[in-house]
Amino acid sequence: MVVNSVRFLFFFIVVFTIYYLPFTKKCPRRQNVWLLLASYFFYGIVDWKMVVILLVATAVFYALGLWLRAVMLKGRTKQASHLTTLGVALGICLLLYFKYLNFFGESITELLSAVGLKATWTTLNIIVPVGVSFFTFKLISYLIEIHREHIEPCRDMVEFATYIAFFPTLLSGPIDRPNTFIPQLRKPHSLDYAQAVDGCRQILWGMFTKICIADHLALVTDYVWADYSHQAGSTLLIWTLLYTMQIYTDFDGYSNMAIGVGKILGFNITRNFNHPLLARNIAEFWRNWHISLTSWITDYVFMPLNIAFRNMANWGVMLAVTINIVLIGLWHGANWTFGLFGLYHAMLYVPLVLSGAFGKNKKLRSNDHGLPKLKDFSKMVLNYVLVSLGFIVFYASSVADAFRFFSGIVSISLFSMPSLPIKKATMLFMLIVLILEWATRKKEHPLQLSADGLFRHTIVRYTLYAGISLMLFFFAGEVETFIYFKF
Amino acid sequence: MERQEIFEKLNEIFTDVLDLDECNLTDETSANDIEEWDSLSHIQLIVAIEKAFKIKFTSLEIMKWNNVGEMVDSMMQKL
Repeated sequence: MVVNSVRFLFFFIVVFTIYYLPFTKKCPRRQNVWLLLASYFFYGIVDWKMVVILLVATAVFYALGLWLRAVMLKGRTKQASHLTTLGVALGICLLLYFKYLNFFGESITELLSAVGLKATWTTLNIIVPVGVSFFTFKLISYLIEIHREHIEPCRDMVEFATYIAFFPTLLSGPIDRPNTFIPQLRKPHSLDYAQAVDGCRQILWGMFTKICIADHLALVTDYVWADYSHQAGSTLLIWTLLYTMQIYTDFDGYSNMAIGVGKILGFNITRNFNHPLLARNIAEFWRNWHISLTSWITDYVFMPLNIAFRNMANWGVMLAVTINIVLIGLWHGANWTFGLFGLYHAMLYVPLVLSGAFGKNKKLRSNDHGLPKLKDFSKMVLNYVLVSLGFIVFYASSVADAFRFFSGIVSISLFSMPSLPIKKATMLFMLIVLILEWATRKKEHPLQLSADGLFRHTIVRYTLYAGISLMLFFFAGEVETFIYFKF
Repeated sequence: MERQEIFEKLNEIFTDVLDLDECNLTDETSANDIEEWDSLSHIQLIVAIEKAFKIKFTSLEIMKWNNVGEMVDSMMQKL
């Protein structure tokens, strides 16, 4: 059940109505019970067997959290560290089993065969539960934050289970942290009109980028890739630039919808994107792209590694960055393409670490005409191209496939006219997104319109919303699933 | 070593590592208050502090700190 479907709309109307009934809204526990039931129903529609996995994992980590805190209060530091390690290992095992077991089995078999040893691996028929990568990370961060004394464990099982299974973010994130999300479950939520309206606008914008851009680009990129060996280098180069736009508008669109639904229910969900197309280098890009995942890995993998390697100067930083970014790559799935994707990005970090520019967050300032400075703009374009080249290997089904595609770009046909079946309207929409990326860079989403200027008139604002809604009906095709659902 | 002495020495280290004109740390100062204090310079600061005070922090100690005051508490236990 995708967010931009009629089924979801009916489901949400029921959830919303009961959530804000006078009987429910005065008591956070009643609201949480209702949210929990709705979340498990939502997950059960995908596959009821997955609900069992989610429920067991939640119960285990709930008990571990209480046990860990009890051990810490008794001053048993070593036992507390062991318990945290156990919890992290359990979470990793859950991921390894569902996502990576076949991958490692097959890779080891291939390696042994390559050195002349006889080995076989029967591919196991394991169905990957949707959202497992997302809720496992929530479970792990919960234990680590208790161990770091940043939070107290949940005494109320319903509260904890609602945090893990919160339906707007269950399937594809954003990965909310317990520090910011659990306190929100402890207060009653009455309908906040301003927040709910902002949520509706954010959903509308998310639907626009998903339906009017990402879904149409998906048709184009799939079509070109299916026959890339017969396409001109220039066409493949344009494909490369378009796929970045597709993945951005798809995942940012999904995230906006999830965050918007959360706002209607009175929750502030963590941001997933902060204008990543304006990034001037790869470090800026990763700080603003899939933020909830990158900040998770930064806090729980990069920082501990960087601290452990602290006496190795730049080598230590580079090693920590490489492990960090390769893990981000492999998080997406069990394929060497994702490992290579991570290594490629780690390589882009080298000049930043060596020059000391890594970690520095220079503010983006406009010139006298309100446009980006030429130096910044050229860096943005270069970074966009470098990131796009990396997405070739992300899309490809094998490393060899990615290299064949790349060698197709570097050919004499690079100077011929590209030929892609792309609609003019899609190109116009992409241009609008690129302009708004800059113009609304200080806002969470472009439909947070200024109260001054043209948009202060209600009629202008509602005409805009109606226009976007009309576009949705006009451009809606078969509802495409979201790229990040498979992760 | 007195808390005041630690702060004086820390001011010197922060000024040097972060290349600041001057630095007046308090218990509540955190990375949000000093622009130059990012994730990378954080590690450089820890290395410099460990060297200057001849102490060693554990990873968990470092990850727990929310501000300079909590870091100084850890240091006081070691000095």
